[in-house]
This record gives sequence, C-alpha cells and structure tokens, in this order.
Amino acid sequence: MADVSRVPLNIAGRLVVWVSMIGALIPLLFMVLTSIKPSGDAQTIPPKWVFRPTLEHYAAVFGGETSSSQAFLPLLVHSALVAAASTALSILVGVPAAYALARVRFTGRKFLSTWILSTIMFPPIVAAIPVFVLAGQLQLIDTYPILIIPYTAFNLPMVVWLLRSVIAQIPADIEEAARVDGCSRIGVIARMTLPLAVPGIVAAAVLSMILCWNEFLFALTLTRADVKTAPVGVNEFTGMFGTQWGNLTAASTAIVAPILVMTFLLRRRLISGLTMGAVK
Amino acid sequence: MRRRDFLKLAAATSGAAVFGGVLAPRTAQAASKPQMLNLLYATAEADSEAVKLVLPDFASKFGIKLNLETYPYAALQQKVFAELAASSPHYDIMIIDTPWMPALTRKLEPLTSYLKDPKYNDVTDPNLTDFIPAAFYDSAVYQTAKSFMHFPGSPTEVDAAQIAKQGFEIFGLPIQSNVLTLAYRKDLFDNPQEQQAFQSRYGKQLKVPETWDDFVPMAEFFTRPDKRLYGTTLMPGTGDWATDDFKTLLACWGGDGHLVSDDFRFSFDSPAGIEALTFYADLIQKRKVTPPGVTSFSWDDVSATFNSGLTAMAMNYHDMKLNPDVKGEVAYAMVPKKVSYGPHFGTWILSINKFAKNKEWAYRAITWLTSSDTQVKMLQKQLHPTRVSVYRQAVSDPALQKDFANFYEVLGKSLGVGVGRARLSNYSDVSKAIAVAVNNAATGSQTPQAALDAAASQIKGMIKQAGYPIANG
Amino acid sequence: MAKAAITRPTPTAEWAPSPQEAKKSIRSDMALGWSLVAPALVILLLMTIAPALYLLQASFFNFTLLNPDLKRFVGLDNYVQVFTDPTIRNGFFVTLLFVAVSVTIELLLGLGLACALAPRSLGNNLASTVLLLPFAVTPVVSALIWRELLNPNYGWVDYYLQRAGLIHRPIEWLSSAPTAWVAMVSLDVWQWTPFVALILMAGLQGLPQESKEAAAVDGATVWQTFWHVTLPQLRPFIAIAVLLRVVEAFKTFGTVQILTGGGPGRSTELINLTLYRVGLQDFQIGAAAAVGIVFLILLSFIVSQLLQVLGRNTELLH
Repeated sequence: MADVSRVPLNIAGRLVVWVSMIGALIPLLFMVLTSIKPSGDAQTIPPKWVFRPTLEHYAAVFGGETSSSQAFLPLLVHSALVAAASTALSILVGVPAAYALARVRFTGRKFLSTWILSTIMFPPIVAAIPVFVLAGQLQLIDTYPILIIPYTAFNLPMVVWLLRSVIAQIPADIEEAARVDGCSRIGVIARMTLPLAVPGIVAAAVLSMILCWNEFLFALTLTRADVKTAPVGVNEFTGMFGTQWGNLTAASTAIVAPILVMTFLLRRRLISGLTMGAVK
Repeated sequence: MRRRDFLKLAAATSGAAVFGGVLAPRTAQAASKPQMLNLLYATAEADSEAVKLVLPDFASKFGIKLNLETYPYAALQQKVFAELAASSPHYDIMIIDTPWMPALTRKLEPLTSYLKDPKYNDVTDPNLTDFIPAAFYDSAVYQTAKSFMHFPGSPTEVDAAQIAKQGFEIFGLPIQSNVLTLAYRKDLFDNPQEQQAFQSRYGKQLKVPETWDDFVPMAEFFTRPDKRLYGTTLMPGTGDWATDDFKTLLACWGGDGHLVSDDFRFSFDSPAGIEALTFYADLIQKRKVTPPGVTSFSWDDVSATFNSGLTAMAMNYHDMKLNPDVKGEVAYAMVPKKVSYGPHFGTWILSINKFAKNKEWAYRAITWLTSSDTQVKMLQKQLHPTRVSVYRQAVSDPALQKDFANFYEVLGKSLGVGVGRARLSNYSDVSKAIAVAVNNAATGSQTPQAALDAAASQIKGMIKQAGYPIANG
Repeated sequence: MAKAAITRPTPTAEWAPSPQEAKKSIRSDMALGWSLVAPALVILLLMTIAPALYLLQASFFNFTLLNPDLKRFVGLDNYVQVFTDPTIRNGFFVTLLFVAVSVTIELLLGLGLACALAPRSLGNNLASTVLLLPFAVTPVVSALIWRELLNPNYGWVDYYLQRAGLIHRPIEWLSSAPTAWVAMVSLDVWQWTPFVALILMAGLQGLPQESKEAAAVDGATVWQTFWHVTLPQLRPFIAIAVLLRVVEAFKTFGTVQILTGGGPGRSTELINLTLYRVGLQDFQIGAAAAVGIVFLILLSFIVSQLLQVLGRNTELLH
C-alpha cells in the first residue's frame, strides 16, 4: 500500500532525472558540435545538425593560427604547470597541517581549525587588489609564483578540511600499536597513517587540480603572456571583430576535456572526501 | 711615499674613477645603439598585423630588433597602467589609447624637445603637418599638469610652435585612427526592385542616408523580420560602445560630443542630449528597426550581425566583411548628421616610456613607424592611417578599392569631423554611468530624461571625487 | 604504558598521554602541532590577513595607482561612499539576492535529484556520472556557451522554444533585467546543482534503513517518512552543501562578468564585478579597499550566522 503511493513519485523522479540529464548535456553538446562544424555552419538558423565535421578549428587552435594574440597550446601548458605546482604545494603543506589538527593535542588547535576553514570564504577579488599592487611593485606580475601561491591559499581550506577528516577516520590504535612496537613518531606517520590516507589525499589533489585549472580572476589580473592560463585565453576568442565560434569551442573542449575525464574517473573519491566532514 | 699620502692618492684615484665611470656610460650610451627595443602593442584593435609586416624593414633600416608584444584591449590597458605605475623601464615604446592619456601625462616622455632637435630627426622627418589635425590634437596633445584641457580652437594643421606656445606638449605620434562609420549593403540599396518599392512607398529615392531624418524610413523599409532582415544595428549594451554611440548622436544634434567640457559642464543632460537619446531609444523601441537582442550588443555583435546578413546597415569602427554565404556587397558612408556631423573617434598613439633607457632610439622608431612611407606599406594589412598623404594614396589605390570599396575615403573624411572624449582621469567610470543610462533608455526601463538625469547626479559625484572642480549650474 | 591510552576504537582518535609524559609531551606537542601547521598558516595569512590589513589602511586614503603621489588621507570618506553610493548598494543587494535565489534552487533541485538517484542501480550510477559533468566545466567556458545558446538570433534556446510553440518571438535574454537574471541564475544552477545533489545523495545512501522501515510499519506515508525521518538525518549533509555553496556563490565573478558584464544597466552587477571595475580597471585602490572591507565584514557575519543555524546537531568544523 505504501508502494502504490510511490508510483507517481517514482515517475516524477524519473522525469526529473531525465530532464536534468538532458539539461546537463545540451551545453556540452553544443560546445563539441560547434567545434567540429565548418565555420559557415556555426551560427545558422535553423541550427544545422547535419554537416561535414572538420578538425580545422582544432588544428588552428593548436597550431597557433588564430587571430588571438597567442597560440593556445602554451596556455594549456601554463595551466597544467600552475595547477600541478599549486596542488603539490597544497598537499605538501596541507597533510602535516591536517595531521596536526586531527591527531596532535595542542593549545589553540580548535581555534586554528576553525580559522583555517573560515578562510574559504575570503573572496579572491578582495585579495586580488593588494596582490596586484604589490606584485606590480615587486615585478612579480606574469610569473609562476604569483599564481601558485594564491591558488594554494584558496584551496588549502578545502584540502585541509578533507584531509583532516580522512586522517581522523583512521583509527589511532594502529598508530598506538606501532608506537608500542618501538616505531618513531615520524615513522608511524610515514609508514602507517599516510598510506591509509592516500585515497583521501588523491581526492584532495584532484579537487585542487580542478579548482586551479578553472580559475579565472587571478589569472586574468596577474598574467600577461608568459604565464597566461587557458581560461583567460579562451575568453580572447571574442573581441572587437566578432567571435570565432569554431576556435572558441575547440579551445573550450580542449580545456574541459581533461577535467571531465579526471572527474569521471575519480567521482566517488571526490564526493566521499567532501562529505566525510559531515560525519562525526 | 708615506702611507697617508698613498691612501689619499688611492682615494682620489678611485673617486675619480667612480666619478668618471658615472659620467662615461651616459655619454657612451647616448651614442651607443641598443640591440633591441621593446614595443607594447594592442592586437587587432590597432592592427598589429600591419606592424608585424614592417618589422623586418625596421631591423634592416636601424639594425635594431623591434620586439613586438601584443595584448588584447583590457589586458593591454592593465599592463600599460601597471608598468607605468611601477615606473618600469622594460617597454621603450607603448601604444596608448586616447582615453588613457589624461591619467598618464606624467609617465610618458613629451616629444617637444626631440621634435626640435635635428640630431634625432636624422632618419625620418616627422612631418607633423601631414597628420590629420583633428585626430592629432585629440589624441597626442595635452597639458602635463592640467591634463583635462583640450587644445583650444580647431586648428586646421598641426603646428608644433603653437602647441608649445599654448603650454601644451606632444606625447606621442598617432598610428591607428578609429572613427564611427556607416556600412551598408550596396547590393540592397542599388537593387532596382528595392528602389522602385521604396520610391512608391515613400516618394523619395533610395540612397545611402545623409541625415538622420533620411535614415529612419530607410531603416524601416529594410526591416523585414519574417525574412530575417532588419534596418540597422546599434550598440546600446552596457559598455563604452554605448557611450560612444550616444555621444555621436549628441554631437549630431548640436550638443558637445565630449559629454563633459573642459570647464566641467555637462552636455549630455541638455535638451539636445535628451532629444538624441530619445531618437536612439525610439529606433529600438518604437520603430523596431533593430534585430532582437540589440540592447546587449557591443562591437563584436555588430560585426557578427551585419556580416551574417541580418541587417542592411551597421555602424562600426572598421571595415566589414560579409560571410561567404551572404551574397552581397558592402559600401561605406559617413554616419548621418542632423545639425552637424559628430562621429566618435579615438586614435592610438605611440608614446615613449618616461622611464625607458633608450629614449632617443625609441623616438627614432616611432617617427619611422608613423612615417608616410611606412604607413603606406602598412595599408596592405588594412591600417587606418593617420596622415593626409597616406589617405590620398589609399583612396586612389585600385587594389584597395576592390577589397574595401570606399572605406578609406569615408574613414578619412570622418576623421576630419570626428569628436573625441572628455579628458578625465576617471573617464571609464563616467563612461560607464552614461552607458548605463543609454542602456536603460534603450531597453525602455527608464525614460531618456530620467536616465540622463540619474547619470548626471552620479557623474557629479565622480568629478568631485577625482578632485576636479564642480561647474556652476 | 598507561592503560588509559588504549581505548576502544573511535572514529576520531587522539593520543592521550600518560601522566608521566604529560608535562613533557604537552610542551613538545605544542611545538609539534604548531610547527606542522605553520607552513599552511603562513600561506593562508599571506593571502587573507595580509591583504585585508593592506586594504584596511588603504581604505582611509584617496589613492589611485597611477598617481601615487596624489595620495591623501580622507578618513571615512570612502566608507561613506560605500553606504551612500547607489551603485555600490546595488552591488551588495544584487549579490545577496543572487546567492539566496541560486542556493535555494540548487538545494531544492539537488534534493529532488538526490532522492531520485539514491537507490543504487546501474542506471542511477550512469545518471549521476552524467550529472556531475557540468561541475567540471570551466566556468568561463560555460558562460561563453550560455551566451551563445541564449542569443536571440542564433541561439538554440529561442529557436527551439519557438519551434515548440512556447514563445512567438525570440526572448531577448540579456536585454532585460528579469530575463538576464534567469540567464545568470540558470547558469549557476546548471553548474552547481550536481554538486549539491551528489553530496545529498551520499548522505541518503549512508542513512540507516531501520528508521525508515520502522516509520513505514507505523503507517507513515512516503511524505511523512521523508519529512520526519529522512530530512533530519540528512541535516549534516544539507548543512555542508549549503555552506559550501553559499561561500562559493559569494565569490562568483568570471561567469557573470562574461555572461552579462553586470548588465542590462547594473541589474546583474555583483559586488565582485564592482570591485573588479573600481580596483583593477579604474585603479581606485582606496575606494575599492573600502568596498572590500565592508564586503569582508558582511560575509563573516552572514557565514557565522549560517553556521549557527546549520550547525545545530552537527559538528561541521570538528
């Protein structure tokens, strides 16, 4: 009897799911389709669904033959370098911090924990202005560190939060037992705790990579040509002389593809990492 | 000798060496040529392709490598301002857009002394009188301290002596000029059926409009939504382009197209301004001669729309190229007038960084780059020239006529009557306020009068904040 | 070793030092604790407190980056401007409204999706993977795509809506405030609902079945079970999702900058866009600083209130 009343709800549920899936996919479909349409077919009414696919836009974008100020491929490289470096730094710095907050009893721990997590609400634009002024004075504009350090700072609260719950979930008994057996504290951490925390560390790293890769404001403000990242570059396909839709969508697909793949492969880890904080 | 004397001699010698060393490089530097000059430039907005074209010529002429770095507009503006604020010597030459100049007069090297000294004009004769005077005075001539002042009067020729006499300086040499021009579908206007239909409907001849009164029926005539054709595009999106559209019309209606005069009087909320904005808004709201979505249009939308054949006319700052599937022909005309012409214009100039190390060579570079011969060569990449002689050549060049119809002729004529901007250090703020007003009037969310009055009260505050005096009334 | 140190396994575990080691270990734990946290702390301080302090002192001056020599002390003038300038007030209002509307929609939609997708099945697994894709799309890219999809002359949305007979003339999305808001909010919803849905889904999947079954046995309807049993248990997850979304929504910049530029008029000008324009395009550092400080204070207040409301019965931060 309870089951009968479920049927309309189930139908509604299925409908919501299907509509959401279609809604989720349409913009991506548009992006990919337009990137393989010949230029003349990109903006037509009615929209063309039958056309001769071409890879000319990808060739143009990767070959540097667009009318943008710069070739696109180096921008992807810049993005990758910045994301990798910032993620490495976040993990390097975040793991010890998370360990301390989860395991080590010390005065001020609770306060630190709260404060570190609260920094997530600091709007980047507010930090961008002083950083811009200072970076200008120190000739740091358009250098790698000027992106890497802020990105690390933006992602640390998330990373620390995630890693803290991961480490806290590892039973202390394991460490206790190893200590009793005579292991040094560092040894315990390195050989017992960290390996068990690897799944969580991976989740944190993936999250950090995604956030760095997609970042726009700081990259827009603090880079010119040497370190310009892909999101800034893709925005330049629109300008005074119209929008090159083929090139824009090809570049967009190139930006989005790696993240889509990463997200797909690691979705479970990501979600479990983010929600661990909710469980006491 | 004794120790003390030895020390004294050593001190004197080293002092002399240091002293000489300090002097020596300077004199040596003045004579020595740098290996490289750094040029900070825009992209398509200032036709960087044209500059790239002449880089080899520069290298062979001067034996110096000209290092061209291009940035799109917003990034370029930030870069220019950031570099100059940090007094960085990295870029010898920078391209400066007109609205940026008032804030930068203390950071750029005035050219007056260089222009007078034959030593620096050995390679190229700057030939100032060949520059289009209206564009030159609007973009390159400023008072260092009171940078909000325009050079008085409308001189018919560039006169360096007069400039100095009035207490102004020349801060750069113009390289690419932009002015609002009207592009139209010649094939539609020349089509006999269209001409007949127009004649029978309006009793007038169908030809490219000269006045705004002529413009309206023609725009209405070509507005056929079911055939996906509209009369014209406009640019009322919230951005500088809306301000520029409006100030053009304001000047056409007899108002001061600078929006704010040198004594800080507002012209935009005058009766002329309200009339002009009402006309503009009516085109969109009442007469509906514009395509859907026009109220968010900016430069790129105008290009996209006209080039895809959606409108019969368009107003923009460069030549238009129809998409391959649109079988048509483009020709150009001056933006219509009402009481007078008043197309918005702005010119890019090449300036010397005040903190650069190779200023004399930078000066030689910019005189060469803006010289008549170089500009003629750069026409191959559709440079918008800044010299009268180059326009004469462009207009009589059959190859250019074939590709661009009468674009250069119209460009040259329009530059002669162009109207520039107010020279406020916070111009972008003021421009935004006007753009918002224009956009609100265009969407119908405010009446033109209310929109302009709101802008006026805001701009009054901005002027005050920037430290300028408030005008009475 | 003291017996007190070996306790039953707990999810959050810490060392309990023996009485003998207590004094020594407390001091060394202090050193250890702080030194482990120090690097992270330094980086965070560098990007939060340090800029905030700079802005605080800058906010009392009329200071533009281009003519630093014209810098002069103006006391509270910049702050007065923040509270009296209609454009800045508009920015705050638009931002608050945007966050409230977007997060609410995302929560409701996300909850619905989560409930529909919670039962484990291949189909649901596939669906949740597909739904996660928008989360991964670079915000800049999604804004550019949105703009073109909503183009009244060439976009898919107006074309197919007309074909379906739902509208007769193309909607000029970015030309009027209400439709521009729909565009702005829908973009945020598209991008972030999956995120919310997946957090809630994880929560739903982790819930004990017994309480639901008990309620069913007692004769509760589906709705009653949901409202009285499921939702309260989901509370920590809802709290996390809402908190994360609210914080991130306040930071929105790239998508709106590209989609609407703040227009039409200033109807979608988030305070972040205002800050960007005043601070990084007009280089009015002093004025921007005052806006930034006020924004920071406002955010701290809102988030702390939110934490209080959401944090009951859940230890979000511990």
